[in-house]
Amino acid sequence: MKALMSLGALIGVAGLLLLGGMVLDVVPSTYIRLVEGYMPIQMLLEVACYVIGFTGLSYTLNAMGMAIPRFWQGIGFWVFFLLYLKYRMYPPIPFSVRAMYGTVSLVAVFMWVSASEEDWQKFKQPIMNVLDAQTGGNRLLRYLYLVLLPILIGGFSFNAMMPKSEEPIELRTVHPAPPASTKVHGKTYTLQTSQNPYRVNPEGKYDQEFSNANIVEQGMGRLMKPNANPWDDKNQGYLKYVREGGEIFYQNCHFCHGDNLNGRGLHAFAFNPIPANFTDPGTIAQLQETFIFWRVSKGGIGLPNEGFPWASVMPPWEQHLTVDEIWKVVLFEYWHTGYYPRTWD
Amino acid sequence: MMDSITQKAGIIAAAAFGVVLVSSAGYSSVFAQGLPEGFKKGDLSPEPSADMIEAGKRVYFTKCVWCHGVDGAGDGPGADRLWPRPRNFNQGTFKIRHTASGELPLFDAKKPIAGQNDLFETVTHGLPGSAMPPWEGILSEEQRLQVLSFVTTQLVKDRKFTDKQSETQTILQLADLKPKPATDESKKRGSELIVEKKCVECHGMEGRGDGNAFNLKDDWGFSIQPANWHKCWNFRGSRQDPYNVANIFRTFSTGVNGTPMPSFADNTSVDERWDIANFVNSLCERDALGNPLPIDPLTDKPKINFVIPSDLVEGEIPADIEHEAWQKAPKRIVAMGGQITHKPRNFVNRIDDIWVRSLYNDKYIVYLLEWDDRTKSVAEGKLPWAPTQVNIDVKEQDPKTGEEGSIAAKQNNYALYNDAIAIETAVKWKELPAPIKPRYLFGTNDQFPMDIVKWEADGSLRAFKGTGWDKDFEERDNYEEAMKLVKSEWKNGRWYVMIQRPVGNKKDQDYDEDTFFEVGQYIPTVFFAWDGHNGDAGRKMAVSAFYYTFMNPPVPQETYIYPVVIAVGVVLLEGWVLTRRANRKKGKTL
Repeated sequence: MKALMSLGALIGVAGLLLLGGMVLDVVPSTYIRLVEGYMPIQMLLEVACYVIGFTGLSYTLNAMGMAIPRFWQGIGFWVFFLLYLKYRMYPPIPFSVRAMYGTVSLVAVFMWVSASEEDWQKFKQPIMNVLDAQTGGNRLLRYLYLVLLPILIGGFSFNAMMPKSEEPIELRTVHPAPPASTKVHGKTYTLQTSQNPYRVNPEGKYDQEFSNANIVEQGMGRLMKPNANPWDDKNQGYLKYVREGGEIFYQNCHFCHGDNLNGRGLHAFAFNPIPANFTDPGTIAQLQETFIFWRVSKGGIGLPNEGFPWASVMPPWEQHLTVDEIWKVVLFEYWHTGYYPRTWD
Repeated sequence: MMDSITQKAGIIAAAAFGVVLVSSAGYSSVFAQGLPEGFKKGDLSPEPSADMIEAGKRVYFTKCVWCHGVDGAGDGPGADRLWPRPRNFNQGTFKIRHTASGELPLFDAKKPIAGQNDLFETVTHGLPGSAMPPWEGILSEEQRLQVLSFVTTQLVKDRKFTDKQSETQTILQLADLKPKPATDESKKRGSELIVEKKCVECHGMEGRGDGNAFNLKDDWGFSIQPANWHKCWNFRGSRQDPYNVANIFRTFSTGVNGTPMPSFADNTSVDERWDIANFVNSLCERDALGNPLPIDPLTDKPKINFVIPSDLVEGEIPADIEHEAWQKAPKRIVAMGGQITHKPRNFVNRIDDIWVRSLYNDKYIVYLLEWDDRTKSVAEGKLPWAPTQVNIDVKEQDPKTGEEGSIAAKQNNYALYNDAIAIETAVKWKELPAPIKPRYLFGTNDQFPMDIVKWEADGSLRAFKGTGWDKDFEERDNYEEAMKLVKSEWKNGRWYVMIQRPVGNKKDQDYDEDTFFEVGQYIPTVFFAWDGHNGDAGRKMAVSAFYYTFMNPPVPQETYIYPVVIAVGVVLLEGWVLTRRANRKKGKTL
């Protein structure tokens, strides 16, 4: 038990040092990478680690006779969580969201310290002590509070009232609802029934199993299967079209969506919101191929209002590409990211 | 006996002295052979294993082939729309190295150590300012070494990394050379040295890369431009650490192979090189306090704030940039990307940021726009089409590489148009519930158009109305009279343009065509820029995303009154709490 708790304490101290480094800007907040797509789980795990660490720390300090009063534990944990949200999370989350998490965690901390009457008394005790001012130290503290509180609160309200020019927050729907059908180059495609005409086996038949067997391998690097090189001249069917799609992608799309389809292209830094990251399991992996076909064909201008069509730089590609070329690009995107398109059944 | 011992000792001592003499003579002769200061001879690395090479092939044909091509000749499908172009590996010419000019870079498939493995670092950190991304986090360390094993053995065809007959490695000992502190004295000496060493001939008097800018070519005949020292985040060798002076020292010491940038190791001492590096580093853009700009780790470029604050001035808005009001006005960087949405499309965008400041008074708002453009271009002839037109088929360059009539041949050879800049703001933005705006590329429709104010290098300032993403602009009849070009100057590779326009009122302006600026409101604003020497005209241009102009309201009086009232209230509250507690303790209740 003791060993376990000391280990926990070690984790706690290491974690605190790391976070301290991030707060003081010594350690970049990307020091431990938040992996795209796994970020929420990773964050929860991290916080869980911290909680274990703090438990261990508190136990060890207790054993060493340096117990931290419940009052400071509660406040300390809340401050830790606020700092964690502000300095650890990358990309940063807006203040309004942080304020929400902060409130929720404050409620949680209160529930924790007031779990039993005895705990609540312990928690309240330091506050009462200062109010009663029985000792010299507490008297000093009381006068300090008397002077500082009005100044701080007045200062905060002054700050809040000063006119500011912070970026307005605009929350955008990433996957707006698609229409039932879309008309591209004069032909109507029903999104529920259309199929990618290039997802075919060497015999030229639509074959999802065959294409799924030839996409890149999941895992670090997402490399092609050893015997499924789209650049092999002998290819027929799926892989041949993947290569053709890739050629179109690298002549048109990678400027924004990036060489690795992660939305970090040459021009991406100039745009807001930044272009979609196809390697994130939350984008094309969640969608049907026909949805991508619709988005590529109609571009930003074709989005409904919740998708912020006014802010998108995505052109309606039907202006520049033929229907065949669009289908091939869609094919390539799924190949290169190693995702299966979702199907309707 | 004693004698013989001393004799022997004497002989040994003499011999030892002789050895020292000879060896030091040998050493100095090596030095005389031309090992520049700060360099040491190194050994060639062993050949990577066949397994590594085979595994690397798989990485290459998944990730790299699309730009670098099947044979590594830098001619993949993506190559022709890129500037700078992807590397042609065949000749073994690599830019960023620790090795002496002309030598192969450091690469060892077993040693992924920073400072000892140039190619590994290039793949890891990417080459900022080009399309080569950092592959760290995408490819594992092993995979990066594998693909480099494949490239260095199979795709570098004219040279061999392991050939002791033809290859040498003279390595800059960067880790052992301590950077000189960037004192004013060091920077001053550096500023004199860059003139003496003729750096300014290519990099320009202010280091904006504007000297001799359009006449330089690389080893393959492609157009190449000198680095702009004010944008260190675009240095190819910045290794995701742009404000690190060691990167500049390295590039300056080893030169950039395949380009006109030579190595200065032979004619400068290490001390002088630190002075120059310190000076060049000091030119990179910094914030008002002189600190490096915060770099966004997602993009490796300066972090962007999408609000452009405009400060209030009493009376006339000054035309002099040195005026206190302008010096105090917050300066914002606006990132620019190529307009590739509508034809003619701009794949080789050369203006990648603009610095914007703004001031306003009761009648006017003035934007001060500064951006780096290596050449001042004023059109010589007339455009073959109206610059307001969209979706016109200007013949795009032939998709061929390096041959007669290819992009390379034409890259220097665009028709010359006007440099230009435009500010686009939303009309009737108040009628659209936030966050809805007109489409940022040229408006939604007739009902919600965009107000476009465009300055061109021929001195004209004109107003247009954009009514749709695929509609031609309409030139507005008389709005020009309401605007004023306060300043336009091109100096040492940078444009300084100041445009004044009315904040708008219903009496003099048209509510349906003109943006009305309101204090304390977020006014959607977009910037467009054209580099006339790059053949930019009409819709071939650089675009920004939606920014907001925000006219800072004067501080209202309540801001000073209410906080005091609140503070007094808190004091009263404290008194109440304390009395209550004291009473309760005494057993009294209120």
